[in-house]
Amino acid sequence: MFGYNFELAWRGLRHHPRTTLLVVLTMALGLASAMTTLTLLHVLSSDPLPGISQHLYMGWVDSRQLPKAGDSTTGSASGIPSHLKLADAQALLTAHRAPAQVMLTEIIQDVQNDSGGKTQSAVGIAASSGLFPMFGIALLHGRYWTPAEDAAHAPVVVISGGLSREVFGTQDSVGRTLRVGGKPFRVIGVSAKWAPQPHFYGLDLWAFSSSNADSLFLPVGALLDSGLGPFASGGCDDDTPLIFGKVNVPHCRWLSLWVQLNDAAQVAGYRQFLLDYASQQHGAGRFERPPHAKLYSVPGWLALNHVVPDNVRLNVWLAGGFLLLCMVNVAGLLAARFLRRSVEIGVRRALGAPRQAIFAQCVWEAGMAGVLGGALALPLTSFGLWVVRRQHQGYTDLAHLDPLTFAGLFGLALVVGLLVGMLPAWRACRVEPGLQVKSA
Amino acid sequence: MQIRPIFAALRKHRLATFLISMEIALACAVLCNACFLIVNRVQLSHIRSGVDEGALAAIKLTGFDEDQGVDLNARVLNGLARIPGMQSVSVISAVPFSGSPNNAGITTDAEGKQFAGVVNFYSGGPGSFEALGLQLVAGRGPQEGDYQPVVHFVPDDALVWITQSLADHAWPGVDPLGKEFWVGKPHFRVAGVVAHLARPSPGEGGPSTIDWSVFVPSQPGAHFAGTYLLRASPEDLPRVLRDARAAIAKIAPDAVLDTTASQGVGNLRESFFQQDRTMAGILLGVITAMLLVTALGIFGLASFWVQQRRRQIGIRRAIGATRGDILHYFQTENFLIVTGGIVLGMALAFALNIVLMKFYELPRLPLYYLPIGALALWGLGQLAVLGPALRAAAVPPVVATRSV
Repeated sequence: MFGYNFELAWRGLRHHPRTTLLVVLTMALGLASAMTTLTLLHVLSSDPLPGISQHLYMGWVDSRQLPKAGDSTTGSASGIPSHLKLADAQALLTAHRAPAQVMLTEIIQDVQNDSGGKTQSAVGIAASSGLFPMFGIALLHGRYWTPAEDAAHAPVVVISGGLSREVFGTQDSVGRTLRVGGKPFRVIGVSAKWAPQPHFYGLDLWAFSSSNADSLFLPVGALLDSGLGPFASGGCDDDTPLIFGKVNVPHCRWLSLWVQLNDAAQVAGYRQFLLDYASQQHGAGRFERPPHAKLYSVPGWLALNHVVPDNVRLNVWLAGGFLLLCMVNVAGLLAARFLRRSVEIGVRRALGAPRQAIFAQCVWEAGMAGVLGGALALPLTSFGLWVVRRQHQGYTDLAHLDPLTFAGLFGLALVVGLLVGMLPAWRACRVEPGLQVKSA
Repeated sequence: MQIRPIFAALRKHRLATFLISMEIALACAVLCNACFLIVNRVQLSHIRSGVDEGALAAIKLTGFDEDQGVDLNARVLNGLARIPGMQSVSVISAVPFSGSPNNAGITTDAEGKQFAGVVNFYSGGPGSFEALGLQLVAGRGPQEGDYQPVVHFVPDDALVWITQSLADHAWPGVDPLGKEFWVGKPHFRVAGVVAHLARPSPGEGGPSTIDWSVFVPSQPGAHFAGTYLLRASPEDLPRVLRDARAAIAKIAPDAVLDTTASQGVGNLRESFFQQDRTMAGILLGVITAMLLVTALGIFGLASFWVQQRRRQIGIRRAIGATRGDILHYFQTENFLIVTGGIVLGMALAFALNIVLMKFYELPRLPLYYLPIGALALWGLGQLAVLGPALRAAAVPPVVATRSV
C-alpha cells in the first residue's frame, strides 16, 4: 500500500507540471520565510550555558537611597537595578547559603606583555574564585585562583588562549607577567574559548556578539588594589559622579551576585535569605528603602531585558502570516488539481476503492509536494540567513542553519503539506462516482 | 450583468471560493499592517534634526584621564581649528543621531512634584550653538557669560534653550521664556526657544518625544571634554573630517579616537536609521512576495475554472452571449470573491494590529489604510483574472456541439 500510494502521488505530481511547480514554489517560499525568522529567533533565545544556566540565579537587594525627583535615567542599559555594593556582595557571598556563589563585574582594560609589546584592549570579568567551576569555564593550562588568593588580593590573572597568543605569541603563557592597565599580574591559567550567547551576566556591554568574548579574568580584590575600576555601575549614593574606570568603592553599586540553586526549595530558601538580609540592613539603617530583594533566573533575566529584539519577534509574526497565506493558496491549487481528476477518481471509486483510499491518495500527493517544497526551501532559507547576516547588527552574525533547525524544516514541510492537503482531499473523496463515470 | 447565476455557480465551488476569499483576507490583513509599519519607519527616518547636518561632524575621544580634560580640550580646539576649511570647532556633549543621550527627568517645581518628562540635555561649549545652526524662534542666543562650568553632568544653575515641542509640552499655551525647571537640585531657566533639536537617539521614549531636547551653554572643563563639533562647508566636510581624524593622532596621542562616533552628522543619521531601513526593506519584500503568491493563486484557480467550464461557455456563446459577456462574467465573479475576502480581511487587519501593538510602540491602524488595501486587492484580483478571462472569452461557440 505504501509503495502504491507513493507511486500514485508521484504520478499525480508529474501530471500537470506547471501547477506542480507553482504549488512547490509557493510552499518553498512560505517555508523559507518562516524558517529564516524562526532560526533567528531560535538562535537568539538559545540557552547561554546549556546544563548550567538552569541552576543559575542572580540575587539582588535594594541598597539604593530613597528616590529623588529627577533621578537621572542614565546608568544601566536596561534601567533594571541589578548591582550591589562591595560590602553587601561580600556579606552575601561569605554567608555561603547557596551550593555555589560568585560576585562579578565586567572590566575593560588595556593589556600588554612584560617586554613592552603592543598595548591592546581586553574585555573580561573581575570575580571571586567560584567563577570558573560555576560558569563552566574550562582551562587549557594552569589553574584558577583559590579563595585564599582571593582573600589575599593576589595579583593573578587567567587569560583566554586567544588573548595569550595575541599578547605573548604562545598559548601557554602560565608564569608570565601581564600588564593590566599598567599594573603587573601573574598569569596562572589559560582558559579555553568561552563566549556564552547571550552574554547574560554583562548585558550592558553586549547581548550577542560573534567577535567579542571575555578573555581576562582576575580577582576583585586585586582589581581594586591596582586602582583599576570596573566598567558597570548601578549608580552611587549622594549623587557621587559616575566616572568610567574609577569607582567610589563603598558608595557605588557595581557587582552582581550569581548563585547556583539546584531545586525549588533552595530557590525559595535563598529568596527568603536575601529578603531577611535586606530587612536586617534596613533595620540597621544601612538600606534607606523598604526591604526589597529579587532573585532572577537566567531566562527570567533575559526576558526582562528584552534580549531578543522586538523586530525579530515581529518578523516571525509576519512570516507566519505569509506561510498561512501560502498554505491557503496551495490548498486552493491542490483542490483544483484533485477535482480536475474527478473522472479518474470516479473510476477508482466505481471499481471499489473506498473513500479512505481516495483521501489517502490526495494527502500523499500533498505531503510529497510539501517535502519537495521543503527541499527547495533549504537553499532559500540559507539565502535568507545570508541576507540576515549581512545586516551587521551584532546578533545577526549568529544566524546559521544548525542540524536541529534543518530537521525542524523538514518536519514543518511535511506537516504543512499534509495539513494543506486535508481539505482538498476531503473534497475530492466526496466526488460522486456515478456522475463522473457517466460523463466520461 | 446578472449576478444571480454567478452566485449559483459559486455555490457549486464552495471550497475554491472559500480558499480564495481566505487568501485575500490574509493578504488584506498583512498588507495593511505591513504598509503601516513601513510608513511609520520611513516617517521616523525623515524627522527634522534642527541642525545643519550636511555641514557638521563630530570627533569623539575616549580613554584619557579626567584630570587631562582641560588640557585635551585646549590642544584639540587649537589643533583642529588650524585645518584649512574648518569654520568652527567647539566642545559638545553629543550630536543628534550619535545614540549617546544624556537623559534626565525634569520637574517644573523646586520640590520635584510636577514631573514634566524625560528630556535630553545637550551641553555645548562657546560657539556650538551657532555652529549647530539652531533656528531661534523666541528669546536671544547664548552670550559669553552664559557658559558655566559643568558640575555634575550639566552646570548647576544655568540659562537654557529648549525646543518648541518641549515648551508646548511643559508649559502649554504659556510663553516659555523665563520659565524654570529642576533636575533634583540643579535649576534651569529658559532663555530661548529653538524650532527643532532632535535627541541623540530619536525614537526612544516614543515618537512624540523626539524633539525634547535642552541646550545648556557650558564651559569646557574636566567633566566636559572629549567630544567635539566641527563645522565646515558641506563640500569641504569630508576632507576636513579626514584631516581632523588624522590630526588627532598627533594632537592627542594619549586618547583613543572613537571611529564609529567620529563621523559627519549626515552619516551618523544614516547609520542610526540603518535598522529601520532594513526592516522597511524586509517588509517590502514580504508584501511583494505575498502579492505575487496571491496573484498566482488566483490565476491558477481561474485557469482551472475556465478549463472546467469550456463547454458551458461554448453553450452560452452559441445561444447569443458575446465575448464581452463571458469576459465580464469572470471579472464579476472575481470581484465578488475578492470583496468577500476584503470584508473578512478588514476584521483580520484590526486583529493583527492589536497583536502588533502588544509587541511594539505602534499606534492604532488608521482607517484610511483599509480602502487603500481594498483597492489594491481588487486591482490585483482583476489583473490576475484577466488572462484566464480572456482565454474564456476566446472559447468558440462550436465547443458546445462537441462532447468533452
